[in-house]
Order: sequence, then C-alpha cells, then structure tokens
Amino acid sequence: MGLGLQMFVNALLLGGLYALMGIGFSLQWGISGIINLSYGAMVLLGSYLSLIIFNMFHIDPFISMFVTGAILFLLGAFIYRFTLQPLLKGGIVFTLIVTFAIRLIIENIILLVWSADYRTIRVSYAGSNFQFLGAFVPLTKFLTFIIAGVIIYLTYQFMMNTKIGKGIQAVALDKEGAMAVGVDDQKMYLINFALGTALGGVTGTLWATIYSFSPHVMDVIIGRVFIIAILGGLGNIWGAAAGGLLLAFVETSGAIFIGSHWQEAIGLVIMVLVLLLRPHGLIGKKFFG
Amino acid sequence: MIAQNDRKLNINIILIVAALIIFILLPNYISGYYTRIFTAIFMYATIAQCINLMSGYMGYLPFGHVMFFGIGAYISAILMKTGLPVFVAIPAACFCAIVISIILGFPVLRLRGHYFAIATIGMNGAIMTVVQNATEITGGARGTTFPIITVPPAVVYKYFYLAMFGLMVITSLVMNMIVNSKFGFGIRSIKANEDAANSMGINTTFTKVSTWAIAAMFTSIAGGLYGYWMSFIAPDEVFDLMFITNSIIMMLIGGAGTILGPIFGAFIVETVSEVAWSGFMQYHLAALGIATIIIVFFIPRGLIGTITDKMRNRRIKLSKKTEVTNV
Repeated sequence: MGLGLQMFVNALLLGGLYALMGIGFSLQWGISGIINLSYGAMVLLGSYLSLIIFNMFHIDPFISMFVTGAILFLLGAFIYRFTLQPLLKGGIVFTLIVTFAIRLIIENIILLVWSADYRTIRVSYAGSNFQFLGAFVPLTKFLTFIIAGVIIYLTYQFMMNTKIGKGIQAVALDKEGAMAVGVDDQKMYLINFALGTALGGVTGTLWATIYSFSPHVMDVIIGRVFIIAILGGLGNIWGAAAGGLLLAFVETSGAIFIGSHWQEAIGLVIMVLVLLLRPHGLIGKKFFG
Repeated sequence: MIAQNDRKLNINIILIVAALIIFILLPNYISGYYTRIFTAIFMYATIAQCINLMSGYMGYLPFGHVMFFGIGAYISAILMKTGLPVFVAIPAACFCAIVISIILGFPVLRLRGHYFAIATIGMNGAIMTVVQNATEITGGARGTTFPIITVPPAVVYKYFYLAMFGLMVITSLVMNMIVNSKFGFGIRSIKANEDAANSMGINTTFTKVSTWAIAAMFTSIAGGLYGYWMSFIAPDEVFDLMFITNSIIMMLIGGAGTILGPIFGAFIVETVSEVAWSGFMQYHLAALGIATIIIVFFIPRGLIGTITDKMRNRRIKLSKKTEVTNV
C-alpha cells in the first residue's frame, strides 16, 4: 500500500508537468499545423532564462515564470511570423527542417552561453516536504503541480471564453468559414503558436526547480511531448492533459515493474499503437486538423 | 529532332563515364582526410537518394528512416562477430532490413502526412531502446565492435571509398530506373493524389510497401558499410536522427524529386559543414541552422530543380519564337 500510494503521488506530480508541456506542443501541432522540433529547445530556454534571473536578481522561479513566459511568447511570435508563416504552403518537409534548424541555433546559443554542464536552480525551500496519507510530497513538486493545473485551466478558459480563443478554435475547425466571417486566420495561428511557446517556456521554468537540466534534455523533452500530444489527440487541451498524466503513470509503473531502462520504449510503443488504432487520440473525437 | 536527342544522350553518357573514371581514380591522388570526406559524402548521398524516393517522389516523409541504417550496421556487426565474411554479413543484414521494413510497412504506411513521419520516429526510438537493452547480443549502450581489419589503414580507406562510391552509383541508377518505369509512375501518382491513384487501379499498398523496402535496402547496406568502416558502433550513434535531418537538407538543397539532386546536395552540405567545423568550431551548429533557413527560403525547389525549371522555361520561350517565325 505504501509503495503503491507513493508511486501514485509521484506519477501524479510528474504528470502535471508533462500535461503542461504537452499542451503547448499539441496546440502548435494541432491548430497551427507545425510539428515544432524546436519545442525542446524552447522549453530549455525557459529554464535557462529563469536561471539567469535567479542568479542575477535572486527572483524565485515561481515568480519569474511570468517573465520567461512573456519572453518566449514574443520569441514564438517572432519565429512564426518571420520563418514559418512564409513556408506554410511548402508542406511538412519545410516546417520540419526549419524548426530543426531553429533548434540547432538555440542549442548553439545555449552551449556558448552556459556550456553543456548540468545546471540546477536551488531555491531555499527545495529540500522541504510534507506527508500526505503516508506518502512523501516534496514542496517544489507540489507547487509545480498546482501551478500547472491552474495554467491548464486558464488556457482552457482562454480558448473557450475569450474572443481570440474562440477565433483560434474557429480557424482550427474551418479555416475558410472563419475567414468568411472576418477572422484573421494568420493572426490566430500566430497567437496560438506563440501561446504554445510560452507554455513551453513556463514548463521549462517549473522543470528547473525540480530537475537539473542541460542541452541534452532537449531530446528527452521532444520524445515525451510527441507521445503526450498523440495520446491526447492533437490540439485538444484536456486530451493533452490526460495524455501527460497517462504517460507519467505508465512511465512510473513501468520503471517499477519492468525496469527503468525500458521506460522510453514503452511510451513509444504506446504512441505507435495509438497512432495506428486511434489516430484522433485516446479521448475525444475528430475535431481538430 | 531525334538526332538532337541522340546527341544529347551521348553527351550525358560521356559526362557520366568521365565522372565515374575521375572518381574511381581520385583516391590515388588525394590524402586520407579527403578520402574520408568523400566516403562520407557518398554515404550521405545514398541515404538522401532513399529519402528522395520516399519523400520527393512518393510524398511520404520517413523521418525515422535511420532505423534501417542502424539495423544494417548492427546485424552486420553481430554476424561478422560470429566469423562470417563481410560479403555474406552485409547482404544478410540487408535482407533482414527488407523483411523488417515490409512487416512494419503494412500498418504504418496506412498513416499519412505528419502521422507517418511521427510514427517512424517512434519506431526508431523503440528499436534503439531494444538494441540498448539486449546487452548479450548487441553489447548494449556501450556499443559493439567489428572485427579488426589487418590491411594498412590507407588501403582500407581506399576500399571503403570505392565501396561507398559503387553503392551510391548503383543506388542512383536503380532509382533512375524505378522512377522512369511504370512502377515509378505509380509512385508519383501517390504523391499527386493517393485516392485517385487507388481508384485508377494502382495497388497503392503494394507500391508504398515495396518502395519503402527498396529505400530500406540501400539504407541498410550503407549502414553496414558505415559500421565496418568506423569499426565501432553505438546505438545512439547509428540510430541518431541527425543522419536523416542531414539527408533531408541535402535532398532539399539539391532538389527533391530529381535523381542528381541528392548527390549534389550531399556534396554541398558536407563541404559547407566541413568548412564550418574547421573554420568556426563553436558556431557550426548555428551556421548549419542559418544556412538551412536561407536555402529553404531562397531556393525552395533545390539547385537541380531550379536549373531544370529555368531550362524548361527557356525551351518553351524558344519554341514559341520559332512558331511565330514560321507563321
């Protein structure tokens, strides 16, 4: 019972972070139609930006995440406007290659400025934890989980209840129809892409409070977000959240019952199976793209 | 008109034969460093040719195609450790790659566009993890070695140069034959409109799976040769997606959907990245990224594609002029 509960809590706390990470990627892929291979680099950029802010101004990552989110929102908008938007008609090969090129550039910048060493942000309360029904809950992980949940809820509200969010959904559902009633489709795609990047940056900041990070983490993140987005169905916020939780549970239980070195293969095999059997994701119907 | 075409064909054949002779004799006159660079270029050109058949002609982007490269390298390594000669081991590895590609191809080629690309990435990752964990057979994450070659290195490099060159030439010739055959029209019709091709009586499933098997065949031979050449392979090296992204960039630069395109692309990209490595080591990733973006923006049809477009336009213009004078 003790092990089972601890496993459940660990998976849940990890799942919050995975869910937030997956949503940004899923929105970019499902609505803007771009498989963003630079997403891992953008998440890491969020981590490194909060590291700078923490080292220079001693501002807590849980506060500086607003700043990193804003910076990455602008970066995402810039990248979409000047590199991706002109190439949308070229098809999948061009967007894949260009996002990969952006990833190389960001990776190079990170290597030059921070080198390939592992870095951590150690806040003063990093070691503290509390007990919940006999399971240990580290405080930073708990805070991360709560914040991730709040941000996911806010993103959902933004998509459902604001004018821009409704515009983005309209463009995703029927591009020509939305344009006919006066929705600026490219603006919606841009805002959606930038929002996805900002969510990635915030995830990076939250990630930095728990785990150590280096440029190597980029590939790990990209591998995870692919699985999460496919599991949940593209462009589906609650789907991606469920996919993130599911992946965390599968990985945690797989690490205990099968062995941690098979972790990645399990996730990938599940992803391929979902692609073949239920291409619209585990939950939900074909709605987007 | 026919005589003109014949003359053109003759010139092309003379050019190709001259290029063949030059490249076969080349390693006698250049240093080992350049021999190695050329060998790498030929290897990349082979992979880019396979990607070109899948993506440039058929419209399916196999992003995880590097799995066949790794499979070819690993199966040849395992077979050669049991004492088999290289001329048995690499064809056997190639046969295994074909079988695997057919088994995987039937389910995964039902997916289209983004989904196909991502599913192949997933399969590549899964196969890589299996190789990493089957420590008794593959040596696990530490990698495995090929039997040591006793001939002096300078001679060995020349052998691999010639082997890779031969592989590239054979691949290009086979691709040329395929693309110009009836089967090749089937492949191109799938890119144009798969449903229409299906309704016109083309067996799209058969065409797609056999095309993937052909691509897997040549990629796995390249993988086996690469492993023997390097004499040491590790899972995260031969299953690295960088091989495929590089090959895609080469295909785009040279021109997707042309036979000469991938070869020229491989030459250009390898030369540029060698210069970037030696010139500004620290910035070579960013240099590669920026170069890629610039190329995608300014010559989206690729070098060969742009040139053939220009020539075709010119010919159309000329033929219009003659019409006018005739009237």
